[in-house]
Amino acid sequence: MDKELELLQGTLDMLILKAVSLGPLHGYGALLRIQQISKDRLEIQQGSLYPALYRLEHRGWITSEWGASENGRKAKYYRLTAAGQRQLQAETRKWNRMADVIAGILRATPEEL
Amino acid sequence: MNAELRFHVEAYAEDLARRGVPRQEAARRARVEFGGIERVKEECREALGTRLLGEFIADVRYGLRQLRRNPGFTAVAVLTLALGIAANSTIFSWINSTILDPIPGVSRTSDLVSVMRGVRSEHPTPPFSYLDYRDLRDSNHSFSGLLAFHQDFMYLTGGDRSERIYGALTSANYFDVLGVRPILGRGFLPEEGQKPAFVAVISYALWQSHFGGDRSVVGKTIGVNLRSYTIVGVAPPGFQGCLPGLRQDVWIPLIMDRYVWGSNRPADRGIFWLNVFGRLKPGVSARQAEGDLNLIMRRIAQAHPKAHRGSPNQISLDPLWRSPFGVNVYLYKTLPLLLGLAMVLLLLTCANIANLLLVRSVGRRREFAIRLALGAGRGKVVRQLLVESLLLALAGGGIAMLITTWGAGTLQDFVPSTTLPLTLNGQADPRVLLITLAISLFTALLFGTLPAWRATLPSPAAVIKDEAGSIAGGFHKSRLAGGLVVGQISLSLLLLICAGLFIQSLERALHSDLGFDPKGVVLASYAPLPDHLKFGREVLAKVEAIPGVESATLADFSPLNFTVHTDYVEPEGYVPRPHESMEILRCVVGPNYFRTMKTALISGRGFTNGDAPGRRLVAIVNQAFVDRFWPGQDALGKQIGFRSRSLTVVGVAQNAKYRQISHAADPVIYVPMFQFDWSPVTVLARVRGDPRAFLFPVEQAIHEVDAGLPRGARFGSTPSPVFDVTTLESSMQLGTIFQRVAATFAGSFGFLALALATVGVYGVVAYATRQRTREIAVRMALGAERRDVLGLVLGQGLRLTLAGLAIGMAVSVAATRFLRGHLFGITTTDPLTFAGAGALLCLMALISCYIPAQRAVKVDPMAALRYE
Repeated sequence: MDKELELLQGTLDMLILKAVSLGPLHGYGALLRIQQISKDRLEIQQGSLYPALYRLEHRGWITSEWGASENGRKAKYYRLTAAGQRQLQAETRKWNRMADVIAGILRATPEEL
Repeated sequence: MNAELRFHVEAYAEDLARRGVPRQEAARRARVEFGGIERVKEECREALGTRLLGEFIADVRYGLRQLRRNPGFTAVAVLTLALGIAANSTIFSWINSTILDPIPGVSRTSDLVSVMRGVRSEHPTPPFSYLDYRDLRDSNHSFSGLLAFHQDFMYLTGGDRSERIYGALTSANYFDVLGVRPILGRGFLPEEGQKPAFVAVISYALWQSHFGGDRSVVGKTIGVNLRSYTIVGVAPPGFQGCLPGLRQDVWIPLIMDRYVWGSNRPADRGIFWLNVFGRLKPGVSARQAEGDLNLIMRRIAQAHPKAHRGSPNQISLDPLWRSPFGVNVYLYKTLPLLLGLAMVLLLLTCANIANLLLVRSVGRRREFAIRLALGAGRGKVVRQLLVESLLLALAGGGIAMLITTWGAGTLQDFVPSTTLPLTLNGQADPRVLLITLAISLFTALLFGTLPAWRATLPSPAAVIKDEAGSIAGGFHKSRLAGGLVVGQISLSLLLLICAGLFIQSLERALHSDLGFDPKGVVLASYAPLPDHLKFGREVLAKVEAIPGVESATLADFSPLNFTVHTDYVEPEGYVPRPHESMEILRCVVGPNYFRTMKTALISGRGFTNGDAPGRRLVAIVNQAFVDRFWPGQDALGKQIGFRSRSLTVVGVAQNAKYRQISHAADPVIYVPMFQFDWSPVTVLARVRGDPRAFLFPVEQAIHEVDAGLPRGARFGSTPSPVFDVTTLESSMQLGTIFQRVAATFAGSFGFLALALATVGVYGVVAYATRQRTREIAVRMALGAERRDVLGLVLGQGLRLTLAGLAIGMAVSVAATRFLRGHLFGITTTDPLTFAGAGALLCLMALISCYIPAQRAVKVDPMAALRYE
């Protein structure tokens, strides 16, 4: 397996929005889902997850309510709001454009200049 | 948050365990990989905090918009609240600067106590002799310091004008025990308490007014009662002595009595002239100290029985907030009572605003429904409404604070113009600001919670039904509003009744039989002079020669302005009970006193010019004196032991009130001024016509006599001061300050209460009637008469009013018991007052129902029905 990559600054919020957009999740579930999709190639500080969740809720992009977890315990579930949905789309577009630009720069050869 | 984070760590630990990690190791690793849990929590809280703050700001913005949209409602609510809150904060500002801060400029007043000997009374005389004080001071184990002082008027002399100020003779440790450090110079040295030294400490105010704040004033001299004293210190600003409510401007060691007053009281164990205050040692309770002093006092009384005959020796200590010395003895009962009434007023205000909010929230139901439908939780809508209430209360509180900064000083306005330096000034200090803020917040919760809770009740069915406009509307739908109205009426009744009781009590006290006729009497006081008997006779002759003056006399006091003195008597044949105080009122009066005051003589004669030095010593007593000491006997010719001499009673006068207008008259002994050389002196002249026209002539007469005196006989090199030239009626206002304060404020609270109740009833009935417009239209279309409709609406209002009155009567009967002791000539359950207040409220309620009822019957049935 590849060595785990460190998360780029500012991308955790976007990943959480994406994870939650696939269905309501509790905090731990969001962590697992991100790791699962990334095939464990991303290293996420578990402690940084929750401040991010509170921040996103504050901005109105996700909402929370208490529910029962898979094994019947009480857990707080987050789901995406309409505003969160728009935000996720905007961030995704932005990220893709940014990635293209950066990749373009990195691909550049002397002949193209 | 805790549960959420714990869930995470435990879920992770379980996953690890499932992957084969041993349980304990899994739990440990889960915790470690999660990172510092406290730090995470802190970060979460930050994220959350900014969220709450953000939402709060949004709520405030929204609230402000809502309030701006309804300027009428907002103005009424804010003004009502401002009055309700200001009533409380103003009275608190007085309590703050009198009871809570009894002697300004002195820190740690909580372990200061005043020492009383004998029966506790509202107007005690100084209870200790200097030798008794010295023994108590030197043998007690309970006080870190015990100070003594004697306060009296003093005369500033030697300058270009002489004037009367209030000053004190004090023990040398006075400033040390109080913990007051002079801002210039020093306090008194221990040796200045033992050997005569002409030194004085002056107040900051006197330093400013007479020395222009000169920083080199220490070492200069000040003339007091014709002698020069070296100024050794200037007291810090604000410090005015340790007698609550009475400002002093000069302090001189008490051993100087001989030079200041020409007497030698410090040497006499039997002359009680000192007030004693003490600072308790840390950890010693007042009760322990009381026991300690009583033990010493008993030993003193046994060792010196003669000096303590006829005066009880039981010692009691009081904290300064209710000390019998100074004004707090009056204030500590009156002010909390007024605060209680103000709180009732605030409660009433809250009920009024709550009702307004309820009515308003009905109009906003659609708004709430929409917000709820859009996914706002009920909690969020309630919070929004509470924020609006908070904004109203804070605006009200802000205005209230402005009113308080002005109102704090109004207490002093009740003090008539006099040289008695009575200071009752309230101050709007930071503590008052804090309390005002607290009251505002509390008020917001009080009036905002119920309507917010009610407005967000999830009852869509009710909303829909209401919108459709049902026939059987009325109060059972607004039962809450009806309940609030009932509460308002009962509270208003309570306030109205209290107002009625206080006002009538004052009226009855003012018109009660005083035992003298205060109308048409002019007063003028002057400083004592070296040959004051001759001076007095000349002044009397001059004043009586003024056209329009019927008769004139001299006295060492004037009635009902706190100037009357006391003395010890030994009536012939009377055996005092153990510990009975033989201290009674003593009035030194000139010839024609009883004629001038129109106080009737029951038997015998009044004083004449014949009662002169060298003749038989005589006295006159009042009926209360006879009733107490010689019941059923003829007083004429009996002897009274007085200041180691024997006086023969030559007359009995009717009772007269000299000390308290609201108490029965005390026993009095009158002694003739020209037999006993006493000072200071007040001229009393009975005149025909408006007494104010005689103020100037009387003052002139005294000045003329003064100007005719040879230089040496005058008051220093300057004209003798004449002061407090006024009418007796105006001067007597001093004796009714606290009754007038109570009547004024209870009265205005009653008036406000009546207005609030009227508005409250009107608001609810008007709203309910508007809701029923359709119903009324249907009824009228079906043939109901105007009379029926009027009866319908009035009946509803009347039912609420009567329910409120019934509850209010019961509450008032229970609550007015607290007024006992504050009222004169009226019982706390005076049926006329109760009935009158009830009738007045009922009338106002009917009027406020009549207006909407009138409006209802004017509605054209067809128009109303079509409108729906």
